Order: sequence, then C-alpha cells, then structure tokens
Amino acid sequence: MRKIVAIALILPVVLGASCVRPPPSDKPSIVVTYSLLGSLVKELVGEQARVTVSVPNGLDPHEWSPSARDIEAINHADLVVQNGLGLEEGMLKALEQAKKNGVRIFTASDYIEVRHIGEGELAEHEEEDEHEHGHEHGHEHEHEHGHEHKAGAADPHLWTDPLAMKQVVAALAEYLKTNLGIDVDAASLQLQSRLEALNEQIHEIVSQVPGDSRKLVTGHESMGYFASRYGFQLIGAVIPSLSNQASVSAADMAVLKQLIIRHDVKVIFAETGTPPAVAQAIAAETGAQVVEVTTHGLPADGSYFTFASNLAHTVANALK
Amino acid sequence: MDIFIAPFSNNQFMVNALLAGVLVAITCAIAGTFVILRGMAFIGDALAHGVLPGIALAFLLGYPGMLGAAAGAVCMIGGVTLITQRSRLSSDTAIGLLFIGMLSLGVVIVSRSSSFSGDLTAILFGEILGVGTESIWLQLGAAALIGILAFVCSRPFLLLSFDPEQAQVAGFSVRLYHNIMLFMIAATIIVSFQTVGTLLVFGLLIAPAGAGALLARRIRSMMAWAVIFGAVSVYAGLLLSYHFRLAAGASIILVATIIFFIVFIFANMRGCRPPALNGGRHG
Repeated sequence: MRKIVAIALILPVVLGASCVRPPPSDKPSIVVTYSLLGSLVKELVGEQARVTVSVPNGLDPHEWSPSARDIEAINHADLVVQNGLGLEEGMLKALEQAKKNGVRIFTASDYIEVRHIGEGELAEHEEEDEHEHGHEHGHEHEHEHGHEHKAGAADPHLWTDPLAMKQVVAALAEYLKTNLGIDVDAASLQLQSRLEALNEQIHEIVSQVPGDSRKLVTGHESMGYFASRYGFQLIGAVIPSLSNQASVSAADMAVLKQLIIRHDVKVIFAETGTPPAVAQAIAAETGAQVVEVTTHGLPADGSYFTFASNLAHTVANALK
Repeated sequence: MDIFIAPFSNNQFMVNALLAGVLVAITCAIAGTFVILRGMAFIGDALAHGVLPGIALAFLLGYPGMLGAAAGAVCMIGGVTLITQRSRLSSDTAIGLLFIGMLSLGVVIVSRSSSFSGDLTAILFGEILGVGTESIWLQLGAAALIGILAFVCSRPFLLLSFDPEQAQVAGFSVRLYHNIMLFMIAATIIVSFQTVGTLLVFGLLIAPAGAGALLARRIRSMMAWAVIFGAVSVYAGLLLSYHFRLAAGASIILVATIIFFIVFIFANMRGCRPPALNGGRHG
C-alpha cells in the first residue's frame, strides 16, 4: 500500500516532467485560450508565429483551470488571445496576473457585436411563465423565475457565428501588424472570405429545417449567436446559464419541461458538461430526443470550418 | 396544498428524485446511526471523498462507476488499516492522509484527461433530478441489504458501539464486526453516490442520524427518527429546489443540517441529555 501511495504521489510529477518542452525559437509566441479560436489563429499567422492553445481540445473552457506550465506559457507569450465575456472562468486569475505583468492581451469579444442574454429568449420565458401562471396549475413561484435570470449578461459563445469570427480575424490581423510587426494581410483576406463562404454554406445546410421546427433546447445557453444568425428560436437550456458550472434546480427542470411541451420541441441538444441523466429524464417525460452536439471543441481534423459545418449538420439533421 | 403536492404530481422526475432520495435516506439512517454511535464520521467523510479517483478512473476506462467506487473504498480502508497497524499513528491521521491523497489523485486524474465527460461536481453533488428507474431498484436493493445486515448484526454492533470490551467478552470479534460496519458504510456510499452524489450521501449519513441520536436512547428509535428526518429533508429539499430555483442536492443537505440544529436546540431546552456517545475511535 505504501508503494501504491508513493506511486500515486510521484506519478503526476513524472508525467509532468516527461512532457516535451517546445523548442525555443525566435518566432513570436501566441497563446490562444481555447481551441476553436486557436484553430483560426493558427491559420491566420501560419509560419510567422508559434501558436499554442491553453485549454486542451475537448475540455470545457468554462471550467478548465491552468496548470503551472500553462501559466508560465501565458506569462512568456508575446500575445495572449482570449475570448473574454467570462468564457475563461477558470483562467481569470492567471490572465489578470499576466496582464499586470505586461503581457499583451487581445480580447476577441471586443471586436464583435456582443449578444446579450435577455434579448429574445429570456424575455420570452418571463412572458411564458406568466402565461402559465394564469392557466394550468397556477404555480405562484413561476412568476419569480424571470426576475432571477441575469438579464443583460453578455454571451461569450461568439464562435457559433462564423461572421463574428470573421470580424475577430480582421481585428486580430490589424493588431498583429501594429503590435507584433507580423504582416498577415493576405492570409487574413483569404480567411475572411472562407468564413463568409462558411456562413453561406451553413445557411444552405439549415435551409432544410422548416420554420416551425427551428427551436433550440441546448445543454447550457451556448448557441445564441448561431440562433440569431440562422433564424432559430431559443426555447431553453438544461442548465439555464451561460456556463456549465451552474447546478440544476427542480424549478429549472419543471420550466424547461413545460416549454418543451408547449413549443412541441423534438430535440434536446446535449453538450460536453450537460448532466446526461438530467437531459435523459426531461427527454423521457416530454418525448423529445437527446442528440449530442459539439459546441466547445474541434473535430478530429482540427479545423474550425469542419466544426461549424458539423454543428449545422447536426442541428439540421436532428430537426428537419 | 397545491404547492406541496403539485410539483410531484406534475413531474415524473420529481417523483423519481423523491423515491430515490427517500431510499437513500433509509439506507443512510441505518448505516448512519452506527456511524454516529461509534464515532466513525471522519472515516465516512473520507470514504465519500476517497472514492473519487476510483470513480474517475472507471469512467475513463469505460467501467461502471460503482466498480471504481468500490475499488477506491477498498484502497481507502486498506490504507487506513495498514497505517494504523504498522505505525504509532492514530487512525484519524491515517484517515486524513488517505483522504487528501485520494482526493487529490482524483483531481489530478480528471485534470489530465481530455475525454472526461462530466466533472467532479457531478460526482460530488450527483444528479438526483435525473434518477432513472434502474437506480431506484438498485437503491431499493441496497436499502434491503443494509437493513438485513444491520438487523442480523444488531447485537454485536450495539456492543461495539457502546462497550467494545464487553463485545469481546460476549464472544464477538471486534475486528470482524468493525470491518462489517465499515463495509456497510462503504456499500451505502458506493451504491448511493450515483443517485445523489458522494457529498449528499455523507450529509444524509450523519445529519439525520445525529439528530436521531439527540432525541432517542434506544437504537431502533434513533434509526426511526433518522429515517423520518432524512425523508423530510429529501422532500423539503426538493420542494425548495422547485419553488426557489435552488440546486437540488445542496438544498437537501441544507435542510438536513437545519433539522439537526432545530432538534439540537429543542433537546437542550428540554434539558434532556442523552448518554455521552463513544466518540474515541475513528477507524
């Protein structure tokens, strides 16, 4: 047993030490906080800079917290590219500290039209709740739900809209030229036109979905930008929060159940971090189907473009 | 009356949560009473957290979480036994050491894996609102098993709790029954964590049984009180979660703790002091 304990204590150290350090180079180093944005930044700078991503692909950027090595990388970077709007909850302290240490930080959400919660779906919830309040069961409490929502909170999930990403790419190209002396104009223009084409492609994909099925119930409130770009209505979320960190309450579940029944929603889109049993329980009660969708990570080929078209295909196939 | 019944009559998930929660409460009341009487709360807490690396590893390797939890519990109990027997250290030092060791191992495993679906919070607080029918049956089986075990071993357990020397004199092996008791606590945690999370299991293990021990002198009535307090906590916690948008698991633990303090104040006002409990031994 002593041996096992000793191994358990030493193992992480060994694992850490065996990770190969990236070779030092003269190229400027850029650290991007999450993989989806990282993929575009890599395509943008090409060989002109060394791009690393902090949050390992597949892990939830909302709750990931950096190791000592990651913090070192952030502090030694020539530029850190973050999403902002509270996406990087677990890295907040590390990023703040890096900023104090004089590390340049580019915040993607500074360059887009930020979407706020409460424009659309939550205002509607409130209305809906009062509606329900009057009828059916007369639950007094349901009236209160609307007030507790953080109306006006900024939505960080901007990558579900390729055109928002296009703005980020354009702004980052400018920023790189001014601050790091890297000229990526050609790549930037090319990337922007590809993102425009991607937008067209997604419009095409989701055009198969008839108007009255364009309703989204997701794991957390992650597809707002997608919904407003491609004409979907946000009905609700298993965890009605901008992050997965929140816990589910019975009230949230009851409200979501009613919404799904009233709007005749057929599909619950479960994401990484969505409590599977809870999603399944709501599905069982409403007759909806649970479909897995990747909203926070890259596919195997590591391309943002594949990610976005996969997302559109998953949504379209499930709802059409 | 609607606010007390409608949440359940309108929602199957609430009924499932209530059923599973009450079954956990019954299991915990039985095991918890011995935990309180024998002063084993610390090993209970340590077990509830110490199973984490086992669960995390099981999830990663594609085995059922219960198997991992069982392996974690075996490591925990084995480690504590080894250290207490082979050194001069007391059992609470051993428990504490294993506790933090296992907990940090769990966190390390989760932090190094990129395919981990779900997170530590889900293991700690569970998904009581997503309980399925199979879990309810499993929980029912566990409640029956623990109940039978406690009934069969009630005399040695009682002697062990109040007077271990007397138990030896009466011909019961202290070590054997101590281990059976540990097994009972571990089994409660292993079966229940899937339903309600490891923290909630621990909360229901000690809070209702603690309140019961304040009120009653006989072990059966202690357990009966513990079952009642536990079941009320589950019901009230779910109602609170429904009406005030609170996290379900945490609400239940909170109610159980509040009930304990109400009973504590009540018992003190009445001036009734039950006999001092044997709190010396931990593992």
